[in-house]
Amino acid sequence: MEEQNMWLDFPMYASAAFVCWLAASGLFLSSGKKMLNQLAAGLSFAGTAFLLVFITVLWIHIQRPPMRTLGETRLWYAIFLSGIGLVSYLRWKYKWLVSYSLGLAMVFLIINLQHPETYDKTLMPALQSPWFIPHVIVYIFAYAMLGASSLVALRNLFFAPTEKTIKGPIQMADNLVYLGFSFLTLGLLFGALWAKDAWGHYWTWDPKETWAFITWMFYLVYIHYRFRHANEHKKAMAVLAVSFAVLLICWFGVNYLPSAENSVHVYSE
Amino acid sequence: MSNEESRKTGANRWSYREGTIVTAAILLLGFALQAASGGTVLRIAGFPWNLLAGLVFVGLLILVFVLWPKHSIVKGLGSVKAALPAILGFTFLVLLMGFVKQDVEPKNAVVELLGLTHLVKTWPFMLINLYLMILLGIITLKRLTPFNFKNAGFFLNHFGLFLVLFSTTLGSIDMQRLTMNCYENQPESHAVDPSGKMIEMPFSIKLVNFSIDEFRPKVTIVDNKSGQIVLSKGKAQLEMIDRDSFSISSYHIKVEQFLESSGKAGDLYTAINESGSAPSAKVTVNNPTDKSEISGWIFSGSYSHPPEILQLNESFSLAMLPPEPRKFSSELNIQTKTGKNRSTTIEVNRPYSIEGWTIYQTNYNTQMGRWSNLSVLELVRDPWLPFVYLGIFLMMFGAAFLFITGKPKNGGTEHVA
Repeated sequence: MEEQNMWLDFPMYASAAFVCWLAASGLFLSSGKKMLNQLAAGLSFAGTAFLLVFITVLWIHIQRPPMRTLGETRLWYAIFLSGIGLVSYLRWKYKWLVSYSLGLAMVFLIINLQHPETYDKTLMPALQSPWFIPHVIVYIFAYAMLGASSLVALRNLFFAPTEKTIKGPIQMADNLVYLGFSFLTLGLLFGALWAKDAWGHYWTWDPKETWAFITWMFYLVYIHYRFRHANEHKKAMAVLAVSFAVLLICWFGVNYLPSAENSVHVYSE
Repeated sequence: MSNEESRKTGANRWSYREGTIVTAAILLLGFALQAASGGTVLRIAGFPWNLLAGLVFVGLLILVFVLWPKHSIVKGLGSVKAALPAILGFTFLVLLMGFVKQDVEPKNAVVELLGLTHLVKTWPFMLINLYLMILLGIITLKRLTPFNFKNAGFFLNHFGLFLVLFSTTLGSIDMQRLTMNCYENQPESHAVDPSGKMIEMPFSIKLVNFSIDEFRPKVTIVDNKSGQIVLSKGKAQLEMIDRDSFSISSYHIKVEQFLESSGKAGDLYTAINESGSAPSAKVTVNNPTDKSEISGWIFSGSYSHPPEILQLNESFSLAMLPPEPRKFSSELNIQTKTGKNRSTTIEVNRPYSIEGWTIYQTNYNTQMGRWSNLSVLELVRDPWLPFVYLGIFLMMFGAAFLFITGKPKNGGTEHVA
């Protein structure tokens, strides 16, 4: 199978990325020297670049956007997560965050290595739309942003910095949530406009839509809560952690819910 | 939260307690009304009554805001302390929808009584929607007076959502979704609504031609005894015939000849293009483990011709599956009662609009596949759509604002209340 042949190369690309990211995380966490940090940033970028090359070649080979199967979306997630980690490091210099992001990205690579899935070349007519790529890319980007924000939340909850030192990390969580939430909104609305073209209605309360909406509402709660209660850090972080759990249900938990039989959004394997 | 309250000086007496009580009361009242109505589907009045109700609602909202802008209830309704419980109350209902399968027969009396299988059309959903609209309306008015460009992002997000809720809630009753079955060359001017009622359209549609563009078919291994596809690690091994050779498990398959559209002539298949013809391929299958080699034809089969499989050994055969549609489209000629005549081709994701109706390609006779002479169309009329779209676009710009400006610094007030 040509597609499977493509995926036969995946362990090579994945290991290269894995080694780069592992080294980068190690350097970020251990060193204080500027030179070594720059090297770590370079390695982190190299790892992401390996996956970008792989996904580009894959895209050309399967002649459809690689955004349909769970395995493919995991690949994008690893790419965006590592990318966001690096960008946030370059901008805000949070070394622990880039290490966390890389760690999570590595987990996604391992899952993909452990569960290589059969990949489908056909794309049903309803999915052949100019909305497909923006809808999925925007969503994956949003998920990656919000995923990173929940890492910040968990760190703040469990490795509790003092009220004095929490200010920086919590601003970081806010930044990520605002960026992620704006993309989440766009993804939701792109989906609505697309649905109108494909199915004649912009919103049908399909289980995936329902859960996407629930996710959106939880982050809406976080944003309003933070606005009114700027100093209730722990509670805000708890809201953020719960929101991410809801996001995870929306992302792949929906596939296992009894309410989701026959949903158009259930990813094929 | 309570100390934060006490810090404030009197004017705004709303705390989370009031916000939560109001939201809870709305939900309880909603479910009580739903139960009292015997669990029926809630329907609001159609045009022009819904439009009138909407205008009265907006008028009242503005009037209340203009007359008592400083009243503690008005101030309370425009605060996060009302908004958060309301968002959570709404989320609670949507969560119920996330767990209880919608639009099916209720499983037990409680589910039926509370309308849990069609929550969107129930009292609690309507009331909480109304409450959210009141909150969004008040807060939008509050931010508009006095006007300040700094509030643009806030306005786009909140008023956009208000508009979406307003037009979808009131407009849902005016939306019509009908199904029309069109057979080739037979003009059709009737469609059927979801309840099965026949409705005459202001135009007639003639299906000039229905066509399907197909992917190359896939081949797989089937079990001779059961006739089922052989699974490997729980998954079917499917290979698309788009190359000269490929492998499935231990079989190496070489494609000698592939015919997109064919029929059987004696022992072999020839290229023909008539109703019932389907793809076929001549293949040679090698199995390195037992060094066997077998040649023969496989045929996907169609509504009128049986498929042909190639027996590989006692246990297994090679089979070609019916090709999957890449796209299906209908060439239509539409004649309106007002005298317009339009020719167009529609397909999935490419509908066509005429006289306030949008025509969607939805289905065909799947048994006959690309030889179907039936095209199933969906006709949708949604007069409130421009308002929904306006709301959606406002929210999109609002999202762009969030993206560009990020979180307001030091409790700034650009985006949220």
